[in-house]
Amino acid sequence: MIAPEYLAVLDPFSDEAKKIVEASPQLEAMPSDVIEMAVKRVRWTAREMLVEPNVESIRAEVLSFYLMCQAVAAVSFPGSQEVRLIGSATRDTLRYRMYDLFKRGQEELCMRAVKRSINLVNLEVEEGVRVGRSVIPREDFYKLRDLKLAEDGLETVDDRILPQYLPKYAVRWTDLAPLLRHRRKELTKLYLVGGWAVITPRDLWDLYADFVSVRMEEYVQSVYERMLELGAQPSGVLARVGERISSLVPKEAVIREGFTRGPAGRLRPEFFPPCIKLALNGVGAGLRNYAVMMMLTPFLSYARVAPSGKVATRMADFINDISIVRDEIAPFLFEAAERCNPPLFKDQPQEKAGIFYHMGFGMTTEPTLADSGRSKWYRTPNCSKIQMSAPSLCKPDEFCRKIKNPLTYYFRKRYEGTRAG
Amino acid sequence: MMMREATLEERKRFYLEEWNQHDIPDFILHTLSLREFGFDLDGSGPSNRYNQFLTVEQLGDFLRSRAPYSVYASVALYERPSAREGWLKSELALDIDAKDLPIKSCGCPPGSVCERCIEEARTVAQQFAEVLAGDLGLRNISFVYSGRGFHVRVNDESVMTLEGNERAQIVDYVTGNVIPSDFTMALGYSKVFRDRVARTFSSLGEEKLLEVKGMRRSLARKLMQEKARAIEMIRKGRLDELSSFESLGPKTLRNLLEFLTRMNSEFTDGKVTIDTKRILRLPSSLHSGVSMKCMVVRDLDRFRLEEAVPKFLREGVR
Repeated sequence: MIAPEYLAVLDPFSDEAKKIVEASPQLEAMPSDVIEMAVKRVRWTAREMLVEPNVESIRAEVLSFYLMCQAVAAVSFPGSQEVRLIGSATRDTLRYRMYDLFKRGQEELCMRAVKRSINLVNLEVEEGVRVGRSVIPREDFYKLRDLKLAEDGLETVDDRILPQYLPKYAVRWTDLAPLLRHRRKELTKLYLVGGWAVITPRDLWDLYADFVSVRMEEYVQSVYERMLELGAQPSGVLARVGERISSLVPKEAVIREGFTRGPAGRLRPEFFPPCIKLALNGVGAGLRNYAVMMMLTPFLSYARVAPSGKVATRMADFINDISIVRDEIAPFLFEAAERCNPPLFKDQPQEKAGIFYHMGFGMTTEPTLADSGRSKWYRTPNCSKIQMSAPSLCKPDEFCRKIKNPLTYYFRKRYEGTRAG
Repeated sequence: MMMREATLEERKRFYLEEWNQHDIPDFILHTLSLREFGFDLDGSGPSNRYNQFLTVEQLGDFLRSRAPYSVYASVALYERPSAREGWLKSELALDIDAKDLPIKSCGCPPGSVCERCIEEARTVAQQFAEVLAGDLGLRNISFVYSGRGFHVRVNDESVMTLEGNERAQIVDYVTGNVIPSDFTMALGYSKVFRDRVARTFSSLGEEKLLEVKGMRRSLARKLMQEKARAIEMIRKGRLDELSSFESLGPKTLRNLLEFLTRMNSEFTDGKVTIDTKRILRLPSSLHSGVSMKCMVVRDLDRFRLEEAVPKFLREGVR
């Protein structure tokens, strides 16, 4: 019999898991085995993903999960390669754990974990197959099985595997909204009857694993935004773990990312949030400095450079060509400044140097890579600060509800835009 | 049925004599103060936005004193509707505009409407609602005659907090906008897709079919001549049997399916459904462009257009 605390292993966002996190040591005092686990879990295979049902193992599992998430938030951004890497690892881990528990006759425990987030029922399979008041035709029942087998490229399976492919449960499709939102599932690919999606055990493992993975990505986003808000540099442990995880991003993925982003990740204004678009159009006298220096300069520099893999203190850690700053980022800023009324640099020419100062190059109008780090590379203010300092620029659209920082908006939109093709 | 623009005098008469707050459906009445109201005061477009009314009496006073050209209310509920801030939730809405139907059996040019177009829009609205209730299990579905088509409005709590991406997937499902991996299942999306494709195909003429890539005239003619047989095959999910039509190879069949799927998506304006801050014409108000009342339709099957004719038009005709 597995203890109820084991639910934390299946649901890292459960109350059981939260209790463990609340009682965790400070980051710098984190046990070395937890630190190692936070990195290694990204590469776990099969049995490494399983957790012994004892208090110590469960505790290490939960703490290493949170350390992994926070470390990645410290060195990258929502939608980054690192986030996708740990998202995929989390999904694989959860799926394998569910499979393993089913295999060992612990289906009930899995169901308990799933039912906390998703409305789940067993199909009634007696004279006919029913869910709620709806009857599912027998032919459809077996066609669903065969479709799943075909999807997995299987022609024949033995009796041990076959039950995994037989429809057994139904979930309320509306509970799958987070998966639909992130396009992890498509409504037209579900078999829907009376509001229920009919699924097999394998579907259940997949759905639940995706569900936790999406929640994990949202958690990383919230940590990332909190770090931006505080403006503090991540602690040594977070930075070190984050950089180690970043080094595990497959090289081919980096190449692909470089390719899809175009030459060195050119800025994609179509994904800018409304406040940045407004600021780029130019603002009036009282807002010019704030809009150009405090909002646009950090936003465009972080968006263009997309610092990932290291704690971002110097731009030179992420670029090896100053033309990115001079020829790509700066022109956007100078044009926005020119559009202000009156134009920003007309009566404040010294502010041209201020732009490079806010990107960390010190007070200069001719920045070089060697200057990087002479001043602080300012971070993009959070939405709440923009609302207070420049309320006229805050005209939120629907997507703004999901984020707390304009940069998150951009990274998420760009990521979703790339996924959508 | 006469459809013409209402004059300012007629608008005034409508709001003074005929408009009745009891014609506002409960799902709006009970959340009136949480909705944003928009007005087109003179026929130039709904530029008067960010309005909030705390009571229906206030709204009535406004309508009687301004006699607006058009009146809209948001599908969204807000904490502060007058600032469009503090979004709480939104109805799920589908807009079937008779003037924009992709195929019109009446031959009306795009942008025009006749009774037959509206009849076709009614059928589409009914089909959408059946899937929303049957497959998606949604409740509290209402129909609104908008003046030139129908709105299907869903006030089911389980979908009201969904965002744009999820709503876009609902549009895909309901309209049959994605080719499924299986055409033969008795229920689920497979059936929805077959029904939609069969309906769209049945409305096509030979000339329209020629827009399908690789479609030869002789094949288009044959498909039209034996339309009933083709539709039967589609309905039964035996799409492979369509290849029994001379020269309908797998590539052209695929092109045909893609063409029909694309047309399926045009039976509703997906942007309306996806937009959680959309404003829709207020049931009980006057559609001044066509002089028809926008009204809730309790029984879609029995709805007659005459019910939506305002008094000033009826009396004018006499």
